[in-house]
Amino acid sequence: MKGKQYSIKVYETSIDEEAEFVSFFDANHLLFKDHLIVIHGEMSEKIKQYLQQKSLTFIQNITMPVSKSRQNIRKAREAEKKKQDEEQEKISEEISKLSNRLENNLKVIDRMVRSGQEVFVEGDLLLLNRVNSGATIRTTGNLIVTQVVEGSIRCEGKFMMLSSSPKANIIFHGVEVDTELLENKLNRIELTDDKIVITPVLKKEINWAS
Amino acid sequence: MGIIIAVISGKGGVGKTTVTANLGLGIAMNGKKVAVVDFDIGQRNLDMVLGLENRVVYDIVQVMDGEATLKQALIKSKANDSLSFLAASQTKDKSVLDSLRVKNLLMELKEEFDYVILDAPAGIESGYEHTIEFADAALIVVNPEVSSIRDSDRAIGILDSKSQKVKEGEEVAKFLVINRIVAEMVQSGEMLRSDDILEILSIELLGKIPEDKGVVDASNQGKPIILNEKSKAGQAYKRIAGRITGHNIKMEDVESNTTSFFTKMKGIFK
Repeated sequence: MKGKQYSIKVYETSIDEEAEFVSFFDANHLLFKDHLIVIHGEMSEKIKQYLQQKSLTFIQNITMPVSKSRQNIRKAREAEKKKQDEEQEKISEEISKLSNRLENNLKVIDRMVRSGQEVFVEGDLLLLNRVNSGATIRTTGNLIVTQVVEGSIRCEGKFMMLSSSPKANIIFHGVEVDTELLENKLNRIELTDDKIVITPVLKKEINWAS
Repeated sequence: MGIIIAVISGKGGVGKTTVTANLGLGIAMNGKKVAVVDFDIGQRNLDMVLGLENRVVYDIVQVMDGEATLKQALIKSKANDSLSFLAASQTKDKSVLDSLRVKNLLMELKEEFDYVILDAPAGIESGYEHTIEFADAALIVVNPEVSSIRDSDRAIGILDSKSQKVKEGEEVAKFLVINRIVAEMVQSGEMLRSDDILEILSIELLGKIPEDKGVVDASNQGKPIILNEKSKAGQAYKRIAGRITGHNIKMEDVESNTTSFFTKMKGIFK
């Protein structure tokens, strides 16, 4: 039998085995004389009578407000972290989904592209670092950049995937893409029926706290 | 065997020469043997900032040409015995430099000194390339403004492709010095924050130097600001020199307004 002291005057428990429960309270009922016993789960008529007979105060199936104990704060933090991990997973999932669509000569670059440097890839490019102001990326295939772009992009592929990059200069199939349209955390820019379509992949997060 | 540090920036006017002079002196004040070398052939300035302009007899080109020995050309600083200075030529231009001669000179300096600090010319042409070619480490000086950041980003890119160490498969250590920070302007958002600069350049931060009106006068007088104990910039240079010589010195926050509650209270009771 598992029980937990919720606060000084409240004791939380559940009934797994009636015999065990009864023997526990046989031994300890004096201690719980002035307590409120919260019972989670089912409770038989027999137990109810037993508790009344021992003149214990009890209540069934209520949810106690989460107390601000250290443990609970830690739990909240863990939940927060889990949420972040999930988001990260979503990003990598999305990237891998799109990566599968990359067809020919995928090149992966994980270095910063600095001002004055030019990266030209015949085929598809997955770039895992920043593109700084004054740098140029040119691809004949599809392009995914996971970090901020402040330089120029020339892409001739079927799609691009870019994060919000207000300072970038992006030309997709000879047409300049308005960077104000890339307002989301991750945006997909596609060429469908001779039209450039921008769809959000990960929405911008609104932080109410700040 | 010493180490060669190139002070670079890409953009001109951000304070390379001032940083070179002050850090050279600062490291010498920490008891190390330092040589500062002006690599800005044709536009020498470092002699004036160090207050040694009237003592220059031979310059770097004459040493490389064999007209003078290194010993004859090196000038000891008045402010500190451990600091020596090698002047740039004022009459020649950058085209006189070539890799082999630069290498021989630098190797000779490296034998003699603990630290050899090279003041690179502005820009990214041949003079700059010769400065970084044999450097073991680079100090990148930026001002908190976008043009300076972009130019130094370009300079770092060239450093990463043209340096001898990189060609041999090693890496040149790169450190950032942010110069001329005005706390009020950072607070009001007019000036870039150091976090943002670090994110763009992604190199290690060595120090932040606040804007200080005394720097111009100090340069004009040939007395580097690090000699002025009261100056904020001078103290910042001292901390950076300490970090270079291996001391663990806490990063000061020069970006928030310094008039804290406590100093205001002290002001009242003065």
